Amino acid sequence: MNLPRFEFLSPTTIKETLLLMSGYKEKLRVLAGGTEITGRLKHRLVTPTYILSLKRVHGLAGITQKKSEVVIGATTTLSEIADSQLIANLFSSVSEASRRAAAPAIRNVATVAGNVLQESRCLYYNQSELPRNGLGPCYKLAGETCHAVKGSKRCFSVYQGDLAPALIAVGAQARVQKTGSFRTVPVEDLFTGKGANPIGLARNELLTEIMLPIRKGRSASAYQKFTLRGSIEYPLASAAVFLWEGKGGMIEEVRIVLGTAGPGPKLAEDAAKAISGKRPQDVKAADVQQAASLAAKAMEAVDNLMLPSSYRRKLAAVMTKRALEEALRSLREVGHAS
Amino acid sequence: MTERSLIGKSMQRVDAIAKATGQALFTADLSLPRMLCGKVLRSPYPHAKIVRIDTSRAEKLPGVKAVVTGQDSSDEKWGVFRYTQDQRFLPVDKVRYIGEEIAAVAALDEDTAFEALGLIRVEYAELPAVFTMDDALKVDAPIIHEGYKGNVNIHVKIDVGDVEKGFKESFLVREDTFDAPEESYFQAEPYAVVAQFDNAGSLEIWMPNAGPHLKSKPLANVLGVPLNKVRVRKITIGGAFGGRSEISPADVMCALLAKKSGRPVKIVYTREENTIATRQAHGMRAIIKTGVDREGRVQARDITCYMDGGAYSSTGPIATSVPFLCMEQAYRMENVRYHGYRVFTNKPIRGMYRCHGRAFACGVDLQLDLLGEELGIDPVEMRLRNARQPGDYTPTKSQVGSCAMVETIVKSAEAARWKEKWGKLPPYHGIGIGCNSVQTGFPMGIRGGSEAFVKFNEDGGITVISGVVDNGQGNETMLVQIAAEELGLSPQDVQLVSADTEVTPSDPGSYSMVSTFVGGNAVRLAAQDAKNKLFVIAAKALEAKPEELIAKDRKIMVKGEPERSLSLTKAVRMALSRGQSISGEGGYWPKVDSRREWVENPFGQLSEAFSFGTTIVEVKVDPETGRVTVLETWAAQDVGYALNPKIIESQFEGGLAMGGQGGMLTEYHVFDRGRVLNPTQLDYKLPLACDMPKINNIIVESHDPNGPYGAKEAAMSIAMSAAQGYAAAICNAIGVPIKEFPITPEKILKALEEKASRQPSAVSGPED
Amino acid sequence: MQARRKQAARKQATKRISKQPAKRTVKQAVTKAVTIEKKRVALRINREDYELFIYPHRTLGEVLRDELHLTGTKQSCSEGACGTCTVLLDGAPVRSCLLLAVDVEGKEITTIEGLAENGKLHPIQEAFVEHYAIQCGFCTPGMILTAKAFLDTNPHPTEEEIRNAISGNICRCTGYSKIVEAIKAASERGR
Repeated sequence: MNLPRFEFLSPTTIKETLLLMSGYKEKLRVLAGGTEITGRLKHRLVTPTYILSLKRVHGLAGITQKKSEVVIGATTTLSEIADSQLIANLFSSVSEASRRAAAPAIRNVATVAGNVLQESRCLYYNQSELPRNGLGPCYKLAGETCHAVKGSKRCFSVYQGDLAPALIAVGAQARVQKTGSFRTVPVEDLFTGKGANPIGLARNELLTEIMLPIRKGRSASAYQKFTLRGSIEYPLASAAVFLWEGKGGMIEEVRIVLGTAGPGPKLAEDAAKAISGKRPQDVKAADVQQAASLAAKAMEAVDNLMLPSSYRRKLAAVMTKRALEEALRSLREVGHAS
Repeated sequence: MTERSLIGKSMQRVDAIAKATGQALFTADLSLPRMLCGKVLRSPYPHAKIVRIDTSRAEKLPGVKAVVTGQDSSDEKWGVFRYTQDQRFLPVDKVRYIGEEIAAVAALDEDTAFEALGLIRVEYAELPAVFTMDDALKVDAPIIHEGYKGNVNIHVKIDVGDVEKGFKESFLVREDTFDAPEESYFQAEPYAVVAQFDNAGSLEIWMPNAGPHLKSKPLANVLGVPLNKVRVRKITIGGAFGGRSEISPADVMCALLAKKSGRPVKIVYTREENTIATRQAHGMRAIIKTGVDREGRVQARDITCYMDGGAYSSTGPIATSVPFLCMEQAYRMENVRYHGYRVFTNKPIRGMYRCHGRAFACGVDLQLDLLGEELGIDPVEMRLRNARQPGDYTPTKSQVGSCAMVETIVKSAEAARWKEKWGKLPPYHGIGIGCNSVQTGFPMGIRGGSEAFVKFNEDGGITVISGVVDNGQGNETMLVQIAAEELGLSPQDVQLVSADTEVTPSDPGSYSMVSTFVGGNAVRLAAQDAKNKLFVIAAKALEAKPEELIAKDRKIMVKGEPERSLSLTKAVRMALSRGQSISGEGGYWPKVDSRREWVENPFGQLSEAFSFGTTIVEVKVDPETGRVTVLETWAAQDVGYALNPKIIESQFEGGLAMGGQGGMLTEYHVFDRGRVLNPTQLDYKLPLACDMPKINNIIVESHDPNGPYGAKEAAMSIAMSAAQGYAAAICNAIGVPIKEFPITPEKILKALEEKASRQPSAVSGPED
Repeated sequence: MQARRKQAARKQATKRISKQPAKRTVKQAVTKAVTIEKKRVALRINREDYELFIYPHRTLGEVLRDELHLTGTKQSCSEGACGTCTVLLDGAPVRSCLLLAVDVEGKEITTIEGLAENGKLHPIQEAFVEHYAIQCGFCTPGMILTAKAFLDTNPHPTEEEIRNAISGNICRCTGYSKIVEAIKAASERGR
């Protein structure tokens, strides 16, 4: 299947990139690894005049350890993250999410920024023109209808990225630059919560870095992902968990994040209550179960992916439970870091 | 038995090096001088009248060299059978599914061709459409084809013995309904066609096919040219699995564009087009009622099956019959009734598939397990008691010759240590068995036989000419192996010319599991014919009788006296010096009942040989998610004789992946109002290396008296019995039957929940 | 749909956009409009250098096949879901259907045609041939390249590692057993 025509821009500096982005705005789309946007280009879901490649931009790739954080450059590939011993040691959830994303050859090209900033998905949207032939444009294509939930007033597309839930769980921050200024936001704030337009970056803004805080004291994180097969899969449900133990040996911080749970990653704040304030060895199976059930309630699901929404809701609870169990286990055993 | 040099041994595939180096050319890899790019405009409506097609703007676009619509094609409708002629290439009256061809363009490049499609204006008048069999069968349902009341396209009716009496005399009777949605071949190679005409008006055409002769005749009809002007060329083919056996609209469109533009044209389908606009496999509902005696022997069976055929007949009569035929072959049944209904809907076209009717096959086998459970008889014993035996007649009156059904059951059960495992596995672990039988060919009238030629070259090497086509299963290797064996040559001495309708004689194609039996026999006979002629020459030189000679190691020698020999080269040159060029001819026509017809007369010898297979599967199920992990599998098939054991093994393994791992765990299509929502490999979940279990291959040999060296169909009984084995194992693991396939995890969870709600007091097993 | 497609086609035909804005200010670039032009691209493929003029929207897979007739690189799903079009980029397997040809300048590209040297099959090719790992052959180039890259980084893998390494390459014919055997055999040969 061919791509639509576009002009190709390949700047070498961040500054130049930002200038082009602010100049072309809506007419331009950024290509990092290209593994996600190329499909949507081929499907004519997006037809920009310009494609700007980040491949030659200096200073965007790499994993660096700083005093209190680990910085992952925007165009660092998922393979690099998966292979990083540093990430594996400090952030199990992020390491596991990178290892489980897509397929090996895709991970060699796909970048962390591209994975985080991917579009939400739907069986009615992620199609080439032939299967969509005759369907009018849906909300996600600037139309006035939703094909998945007939009569609906909004888009129900689902965010299926692997990395974002894991990053949000460990409290990662994102550095977003535009010409002349930058802002640092929690990764969860990159998402609008709206299916039609799920990514909350302005067209002149570039995600340049992701910062993962190194927490003092004992902490643990985990990522669980359910798929029908062992590879080439978006999650049908996923959960990332982060636990941090305060000085008194109590779990003081609990972050549970669901993927494939709505138009963006879902931070299940209510669910944390069932765990926090307890010592890891005192957390009972029933507490975990309760947290998992509460987390699953945060999930939004309609029938627009391959398995029924009723089933995916159950999976969300199971994935949360397993991620919690895994994190608790490592907190009880080693527990020096997440 | 004389010792053989090549047959029965694992000879390297003749096409492997070309494929390993990227040199093998598939259709889309071809490029010809001045070749154009063809693209197809498709219907956005599931059912609509075509009011007007205006191609004038597209024709004026610079770079566009031809545009064709139904006006350019023959008004003759096509069908696999005379009574199923219902599809016109391209349609002029109405469209019947989303994705049906409307027009095609040929342009200098792909971008221009796409642009031209956007300039074609089509005016439609939408018609009410039906998307389910239930809706299609309603009294007031919209009619998709005139003359087919209630949208029933095919009705196969078989009634043998006394079914009612059989049920009355049964100790136990059960009726269950089994469902499965549509599935697809997902051949690795998307469909593609290249076509060009020469000055004399002859068409030269390349496309993936499962029988070049099955393509050339309908093409000649549609184009209105004699058959010798349609040259379907040999090309490497990226899989068929029961598809690609008949003419495709793409073939016609490409030929029409080539004719109109006066230039070669290439059409390469996208993956989506391959899924939506080439025929795939049926969705199905099978209502199965079986009665057994106290010992579990089947006394009567009554099966009604509905198959969602989509918009056209395609291979409907065959596809509606084969699911039943496989099971009537596999198991003894005296009193049996079958009603098979193929129903038209406004969906893409369906046809034969390697794993014919998973709802049917898994239904029959699962029900056998359920009956056995009530009787306290284990599944292996249930199968042994009902297994087909050599010498039997099937209900539809085929005599079964070679048959080692029982041996496949016994050997696979032993290898799997069934007795140690059945009923003794930990919770949520299960083991299951499936048995099936597949035909070695169908009656195909004047196209049922294969003819082959062998010509000796001056250097003692040979050229083999055969119509047999290779879709990837290894048919070319099989032909070379047979010819080389017969003539005492090495594979390198054999040049194969195959699957080219200009050169190669009649052949039934490779989709009815018959290539080895019919095509292999033909090559063997042709080689023997040439050999006999050469032996006459050599006998004089060696002062022996021709019947005392054998060909081995590139020599002709007196049997038992290898020192009395003559090189083949010398023998050939001796013949030439006497004014005789050595060549051989052989033909094989299977002994089937030519009066047998799928619908009108489904009785008589269906096939000359039948294969029998058993697959045992061991699984574990995650009770929290319903996800299945397959631990190990044992695949046993009676292949008659294994001509090339490694190639057969690789067919077993591929069959198990497709029928079992894919067909029972993850593969199905999702439709919404006639629209396929998972047309690509992204959401249609094909098996992956990381998920495949260990496969233990068990080759069983019954030495068929008529097959070449005793060989018959190999591996399709595995593809089918694997589906049954997978289903049985999962149901065993969770302790409840699931009657909707594939058994995706949500169905397992639902079944487990229902089971728990029925037995509130039951203690649930520990998690594994 | 029809109308939308037409509109898109019209837009395509009359699309006026800038060329090479990098050296100019963005303001100049936006106002100065020209039609999309082919770009000069230098690619290094199978140890040979090629200079091509191509449109920027051509994928690496398309360019290999259509411009250079390196048709050993196949196309099957065209959206990254099957692995058939795999080539090596600086030794690592990538999907050629998801990469722009203009975006891989300066990289060492290896296709299946570049594996055998001086007519001698690469050991992994030999292993695929000898172990019946090839049926229809359509996934074979991508599979072999993936296996080659994998063994380069992990010369003595376990079966599980092999299966994971090729988990993104779909084969419809073999059920993978013989492919795994072939890769294992190739790795043992290197021992």
